[in-house]
Amino acid sequence: MNWLTEFPEMSRTDLRDLKKGGDEAFKAFSRAYGEALENFFFPLLKFLKWFEDLLVATPWPIMMIIIALLVWAGSRSLPMVAGTVISMLLIGYLGMWEDTMFTLALISVATLICIVVGIPFGILMSKSDRTQAVVTPILDIMQTIPPFVYLIPILLLLGIGRVPGLIAVIIFAIPPVVRLTNLGIRLVDKDVLEAADSFGASPWQKMRTVQLPLALPNIFAGVNQTIMMALSMVVTASLIGVTGLGQEVLVALNNQYLSLGFMNGLAIVAIAIVFDRVSQKYGKRLQKHSEVVHG
Amino acid sequence: MKNLFAAAAIATVGLGFGSAAMAQEDCGEISMAEFNWASGELLAAVDKIILEEGYGCDVELVVGGTAPIFASMNEKGTPDIAGEQWVNAVRQLVDQAIDEGRLFAVNTAPITGLGEGWWVPPYTLEANPELKTALDIIERPDLFPWAEDPSKGAIVGCPAGWGCQFVMNNLFQAYDMEAKGWVLVDPGSAAGLDGSIAKANERGENWLGYYWSPTSIIGKYNLQPVPFGVEYAGDENWNGCISLETCIDPAKTSWIKSEVFTIVTDEFMQRGGPINEYLAARVYPGSVMGEMLVYMSEEQADGEDAAYEFLSRFENVWTQWVSPEVAAKVKASL
Repeated sequence: MNWLTEFPEMSRTDLRDLKKGGDEAFKAFSRAYGEALENFFFPLLKFLKWFEDLLVATPWPIMMIIIALLVWAGSRSLPMVAGTVISMLLIGYLGMWEDTMFTLALISVATLICIVVGIPFGILMSKSDRTQAVVTPILDIMQTIPPFVYLIPILLLLGIGRVPGLIAVIIFAIPPVVRLTNLGIRLVDKDVLEAADSFGASPWQKMRTVQLPLALPNIFAGVNQTIMMALSMVVTASLIGVTGLGQEVLVALNNQYLSLGFMNGLAIVAIAIVFDRVSQKYGKRLQKHSEVVHG
Repeated sequence: MKNLFAAAAIATVGLGFGSAAMAQEDCGEISMAEFNWASGELLAAVDKIILEEGYGCDVELVVGGTAPIFASMNEKGTPDIAGEQWVNAVRQLVDQAIDEGRLFAVNTAPITGLGEGWWVPPYTLEANPELKTALDIIERPDLFPWAEDPSKGAIVGCPAGWGCQFVMNNLFQAYDMEAKGWVLVDPGSAAGLDGSIAKANERGENWLGYYWSPTSIIGKYNLQPVPFGVEYAGDENWNGCISLETCIDPAKTSWIKSEVFTIVTDEFMQRGGPINEYLAARVYPGSVMGEMLVYMSEEQADGEDAAYEFLSRFENVWTQWVSPEVAAKVKASL
């Protein structure tokens, strides 16, 4: 009755060969295509570095004014602007200005790429049930697989530094914007679409002038979620050499520096709250303008 | 307690009759430290097999890390033997214990070629034979282009938050590397550091950075230590500046020598006889240890599996540590 109590598992040598085979195959892939991939991502690296340098080099009072204006443009709320300025001043006073700028640059670029790549994917998904059936499980995997798992192939392909960190963040953060774009478009009222059809709108016109505008609040909720998830990846990205607040959190973890850990952790929280509240308020305003009544 | 005194008395009497003969026949019980990292496990397992099969001892392994094992030997006199005691971390205590005769270093280099420092892949040196020391390498940042700005050379440092991070920062400053076109890259974590080595070596790219030996990754890619080409500039420079976070004027220096001893207690020094001779002769060449660590990580072997592999694969190494009779006995048991 051995087979009942002991699971019939693969022999140790076969299992080892299987693992080794997988590793070797990936390493061969890395040898063959790694450099090409690195070259492919080089413009992205240039852009990220340029943006980082810009944020760091801009004198802090100007940076502060820009941030305040952006918050105002998004939220139209004076308390929001005041809260943001106070927390940024505190971050600067506690010596985390430069790291915060690095993190801001990373998050902004990651969010931008998520939007540019994610929204078209969401549109494709909404167009075809088959695409949706294929893409949904992939998004499920991306959202649930532990990030450490895909750090290994990213490291072997691209090494350490900003781009591999950025890619890890994007893999983790892109699913909400894709999902909610898809959902938003699918939720657009059928009657409205019929009306557009009866006016003789082409599919492209329909998408651009009817479906996308009506789906905007949902898409915006997706962007908001994407930003939050990108911020939560900051520390993980630092494990493969991304500079910024996450790196200081790792230093604190390695040395049991309680205060340093909390200071940098709370700075990440502050950025998250600002991003979240501003994008939510902006999303709500969009909803008001488009005068869609849900439910 | 009574038994202990009796045992000590017998051991002392035994000494009078010639310890060699006694230990050969009736070695008795030995407690030995098994350090909780790969090379420590292997060392302890090989010692255990050789002492039990070759010398007829009864060896009990005590698992622990550097500090607890040392404290236990220093204060309680047990375990009897610590095979791979890293000294730098407990330097003052070790010196004191040896001065006061509580502990003895029977072997001051059980593994050769170990320590921290800068490493490069072997093919880098083959392709550029003129790179003899760190001083030569520092003149050639173009050979080690940084992925994020290929006009600069990259030296991969120690992950942020590790003690060696300060050392790397200060050496970077001491060798004036920034002015020569270098960037000190923070790999972020041990996984990042290992990953950057694996990536570069799988692709045949040049790589320069921090690591330490004996480790499986050094063995796997046969990384070569870089001699600094500069003398060690003294403990005052190292402890008072290089290894601190703020160091205004670091002097050029080679990396501080990492020392590993095989340590025995005073009591074991008296009764061990030929076993101490074995421990003194037992030296693993760094390359052999590296090869064994690669075996351990690839096969996910524990210390004992690896010890049997070592004894069969490197017979020419270990048979030199013991007399032909002992070697025959161990071989018979394999």
